[in-house]
Amino acid sequence: MILNKNTLILPFTILSLLCSTLFGDDMYKQESLDNGKLIYESTCISCHGAKGETSSAIFLIVKPRKLNKTILSQEQSFKIIKDGAHYWGAHSDIMPTFKYVYNDDEISNVALYISEEFNSHRDKKVLKLLQESDAVSKDEQVKMLSVGEKIFKRNCSTCHGVIGDGKSEYVEKLKVSKDFLFPYNLTRTLLNEDEIFLYAKFGGHYWGTDKNDMPSWQNKYNDFKLKSVAKYVNEKIKKIK
Amino acid sequence: MKNILLALLVTTGLFAANHVVDQKGKTFIPHAISVAVGDTITFKNSDPFAHNAYTDDEANEFDIGMQSPKIDVKVTVKAAGTFNVECAIHPNMLLEVTAK
Repeated sequence: MILNKNTLILPFTILSLLCSTLFGDDMYKQESLDNGKLIYESTCISCHGAKGETSSAIFLIVKPRKLNKTILSQEQSFKIIKDGAHYWGAHSDIMPTFKYVYNDDEISNVALYISEEFNSHRDKKVLKLLQESDAVSKDEQVKMLSVGEKIFKRNCSTCHGVIGDGKSEYVEKLKVSKDFLFPYNLTRTLLNEDEIFLYAKFGGHYWGTDKNDMPSWQNKYNDFKLKSVAKYVNEKIKKIK
Repeated sequence: MKNILLALLVTTGLFAANHVVDQKGKTFIPHAISVAVGDTITFKNSDPFAHNAYTDDEANEFDIGMQSPKIDVKVTVKAAGTFNVECAIHPNMLLEVTAK
């Protein structure tokens, strides 16, 4: 049998078309992951560690968030990487904006890599915790904003400030001590109502912060009260919807 | 005369006891106290950061506000009953007060 150029090209073309049809999305995703990994390992790894667990050797005032525990979704991670944490309510800009370094596709690839490699259980975990929480009855729903406001002013405002901007007398006084706090400016938080509830219920450490400066409130308030605070923050404090 | 003197002593609080509750390691120490109506509770703060103490008990409602380290704040127990005192900043702090 004589193999000429045409007899070789035809099956190869058919095979290529078949592969791209069958595996096109996967191949594209793998390319994105590879690119995300490349950027992560050249940029993010020094603070967030090889597996997103944060290097214990990092000596920063605010230790980087453990990406294998973060409550942030892939989409929210994209926004933080692009705009920097300060834009979305963090006190400092230790997690800077990367929009001048990488384009949207590259940032998207990094967010994908973080989500797939370190935090792939995140969506299921959030959903499970929400499903396990107590449902709010219709009678309770009408009281939520007033209950949430009362708790916010009683407890949360000490650190987050009365208007939720992260500025308070308490925090000012702590600035000169080793027990400094950098509470989030909640007017700019990326978290939605459900995520705010879960963050308040389980505390910052559970969701990957080094210090437990945002404590878990689940021993003090039940799910209804914490969901009420979350609703109040989401509807009355948060300015970026 | 004796009765008048006694009444005067009682009303001026000279018989009232003072109970000291420290806040250390984000804990009220002790975490439960028994007091008499009219007694005072002095809240100390031995932690290097601020605390707070408040109760929502209707008969004894108080809120000492933000309490800086090494500052003492005194409150008076107004009514009988058992009530909880909490810190608005640290959710796991709890003091049980039994007033008779």
